[in-house]
Amino acid sequence: MSSTPVRAMARSPFVLVVGVVLTWFIAAFLVWPNVNVLIATFFPDGNFSGRAAEKLFSSQRAMKALGNSFLLAVALSITVNAVGIFIVLVTHYFRIRGSRILFLGYATTFIYGGIVLAAGYKFIYGDKGIATSLLLKVFPGMNPAWFSGFFAVLVVMTFATTTNHMLFVANALKSVDYQTIEAAKNLGASTWTILRRIVLPMLKPTLFAVTILSFLTGLGALSAPQVLGGRDFQTITPMILTFTNSPTSRDLAALLAVILGLATVLMLAVMTRLEKGGTYFSVSKVSSELQKQDIQNPVANVAVHVVAYLLFAVYTLPVVLIVLYSFADGAAIQTGQLSLANLTFDNYVRVLTEQSGLRPFLVSVVYSALAALIAVGGLLFVARLLQKYRNWVASAFEYLLHIPWILPSALLALGLIISYDHPNPLVGGAVLTGTTVILLIAFVTVKIPFTLRMLKASFASVNSSLEEAAAIMGAKTLYVFRRILLPLVLPAAAAITALNFNSLLDDYDTAIFLAHPLVQPLGLVIKANTDGAEGTEGIANTFVYTVLLMLITGITMYLVYGRAGRRSGRKRMPAVPGTGGTLAGEVPPASATSVFGEDSKVPAVPAR
Amino acid sequence: MIRLDNIEVSFGDFTAIPNLDLHVRPGEFFTLLGPSGCGKTTALRTLAGFIQPARGTVRVDGKDVTRLPSDKRQVGMVFQNYALFPSMSVWENIAFGLRVRKENPAESDRLVRDIARRVELSDEQLAKNVAELSGGQQQRVAVARALVLRPKILLLDEPLSNLDAKLRHQLRQQLKDLQAMFGITTVYVTHDQDEALAMSDRVAVFNKGVVEQVGTPQEIYDHAATEFVCNFIGDSSTLTPEFVAEVNKQSGAGLSTDAKSYLRVEKASLDVPADGGAAVGLSGKVVSRTYHGLHSRYVVRTHGADIRLLVREDGGDHPEPGTETTVYLQPGHVLQYHPGTGAALREQDPAVALP
Repeated sequence: MSSTPVRAMARSPFVLVVGVVLTWFIAAFLVWPNVNVLIATFFPDGNFSGRAAEKLFSSQRAMKALGNSFLLAVALSITVNAVGIFIVLVTHYFRIRGSRILFLGYATTFIYGGIVLAAGYKFIYGDKGIATSLLLKVFPGMNPAWFSGFFAVLVVMTFATTTNHMLFVANALKSVDYQTIEAAKNLGASTWTILRRIVLPMLKPTLFAVTILSFLTGLGALSAPQVLGGRDFQTITPMILTFTNSPTSRDLAALLAVILGLATVLMLAVMTRLEKGGTYFSVSKVSSELQKQDIQNPVANVAVHVVAYLLFAVYTLPVVLIVLYSFADGAAIQTGQLSLANLTFDNYVRVLTEQSGLRPFLVSVVYSALAALIAVGGLLFVARLLQKYRNWVASAFEYLLHIPWILPSALLALGLIISYDHPNPLVGGAVLTGTTVILLIAFVTVKIPFTLRMLKASFASVNSSLEEAAAIMGAKTLYVFRRILLPLVLPAAAAITALNFNSLLDDYDTAIFLAHPLVQPLGLVIKANTDGAEGTEGIANTFVYTVLLMLITGITMYLVYGRAGRRSGRKRMPAVPGTGGTLAGEVPPASATSVFGEDSKVPAVPAR
Repeated sequence: MIRLDNIEVSFGDFTAIPNLDLHVRPGEFFTLLGPSGCGKTTALRTLAGFIQPARGTVRVDGKDVTRLPSDKRQVGMVFQNYALFPSMSVWENIAFGLRVRKENPAESDRLVRDIARRVELSDEQLAKNVAELSGGQQQRVAVARALVLRPKILLLDEPLSNLDAKLRHQLRQQLKDLQAMFGITTVYVTHDQDEALAMSDRVAVFNKGVVEQVGTPQEIYDHAATEFVCNFIGDSSTLTPEFVAEVNKQSGAGLSTDAKSYLRVEKASLDVPADGGAAVGLSGKVVSRTYHGLHSRYVVRTHGADIRLLVREDGGDHPEPGTETTVYLQPGHVLQYHPGTGAALREQDPAVALP
């Protein structure tokens, strides 16, 4: 579509109404809060001040946290790649016995992540954990707190974030032209040479991208360091949270958030730059489908099998134990001893019938559903207009709507807090901080980039002749939208809503900053339970929550991706619902969720 | 040079090739021709070592290579889409096989530059990324990459199929010239009969995993051994028994009226052939005429048969649709096939001419 003059665009009343609402929303919730953070940091009294920086540099704790964050980011980039590339090769490239089962095991991170995963690992490997209790019986002398600090955080986050590899690297691998592998074989290359010289170089851009995503995930980590880092290993985002809670150190929190934001923007810029350079993908028009490769060397073959199944155990053990112990009574959970006799449905009954158990669940469901619906409903119009009109105004709006994508959620949350803790004319003079509305706004905001890209893609996939045909027969803009376009994008919109709902359900990173003290969503309750506040009952409740969340997420993922995959006869996961596999061969992009917060279980947005 | 004996290839329950015998002579440009799904690519891939036959032997230069991996067979291959490694430069692509063999770097460079010169790739192009090359240049890189290892055989798997018509014509010639220059035994797979006829020394026509005929382009065109070959290659009109009977009546040729009979479009004419001879003329009516510039295509109905023929547009007067005219043909040009087996009635050539 060619560009539309701005003046022609402004003649449509539909465009004007959407434009005004959008301008207000962007100004009030995307731009002003972040500008406000900058002001609070550098111009606290209207004049420039470097005091926040001085305070930061003189605070040993803060500097240590900064160092830790970068250490985690670098370490995570390495470990996630090592594990991620391995599991992708094992499930998609090499001929491994039972690769389908392995795939299911590695894919468990699709259905649980973030705070839930961190909590799960703590309940199992932590100082009072089930596995630790069992280990203590075998090795009475061992340190019960063995699973904490940098090591524990790195392990948990490594296994939690290979989701990006499973999605993007696997997809890129599938788009490798098999003829190139055959050509290399014909020229005498060994399995290892082909992998190293042909296949991995073709995956390079994707690997760059997931490395940067891993780096950013490590940098912005919140729940894993909080739950497992212990006293010695704290990182930036938990520090921002601590500083935010006291008004005297808010400028410090703001500065840290700005540093985090700058690092993020920088890394994303690097990624965009890398995406542009060089051709890595097949230059051919016809390519043949990848076939699995045998590992010729028998020793290597056995070794790969062993490691694959060990990893499988690491991935699935927490899930299996959580499901098992969600049926166990308090005594069993405390001692780790499990027998058929103490398996009951009591925990489920308690969570689903008692006020205290059910309430956080309901709070999360209501928040997530509302945010998901508002984001998709509102952006349906916006996405349509941005897809239809191409000019500088539309581009400007599009860039602004991507602000939540390039800035860490901690920064956004902090911005909302300090912008709306006093009456503000932008929202009709209301105070939002401390109310239940502010979290909803944050939820909607965080989901905007993902939703917008997905919806735009699905509008773009609608054949434009349909619209023209309707217009020739005299249909007006809104009528065409309602009768022609909407029915076509509705399945995609429903899928996006479901994915948004999923990812918000166990949100922790945003809620911890903004939630109303009496209306606490699930993520916060689960986190509180890891501190042991609610005793074994709290732990049992968390197990039940986790199982329920896994069920909901699993079902949604199946409905969105599973059936489509089945229909095409392959177990692939198109990242754009409704537009089917447009991601194949594309470089993975970042999304708010996969970048910030270790729960990257939501497939990220397709590249522009 | 290449000998496939009793080859059987199956994929699960599906038998792609039931029993294949082929013999390719040294230095020959040999084409496997057939519609898609006929087994020609499967035969090529069996030869290349990418498919293990269930039965039979593959011999290259007298040596049994049936169980050898692809790289030990001394065959070079150019893939359908060239399969150039996108992450490497042109030089690295061509040098890939040499580096895998741990050839010394100076020698590798010499060999790469030597082969590049012979396929007319400049030093400047060698430094480029493969994506920066045109389709023709990519093809030359693919050929160079295959030939730099000095294989005994070059295999080409529909290398022109994903190009536009003009480029295809140009590259066809280029490929043929390269083959002639290197004198390498070449097996070429295509579904394009035009390509097969123009490029090959000999052609094997495949149908459902079975070779219907092996012969020079002219043999398979003029003396199609089976009804399938007759229909797959060239363009011909189906003749009716009445038509054949009339030809017999006029000429006494003694053609079978029960057989399936065909006449190539260019073998029928509206003018009396210059050399006259045995030609017979059947009167009919022009059904349609389609103008093509260089020539017009006519359909003339005579004795129940719609005879298609070409008339050169040389400025002369030609009959319009609806007018009466006469179709001339040589009875010897009528191709006849057994209605049950599809085999040619007159034994033109042994069907599988294996020396």
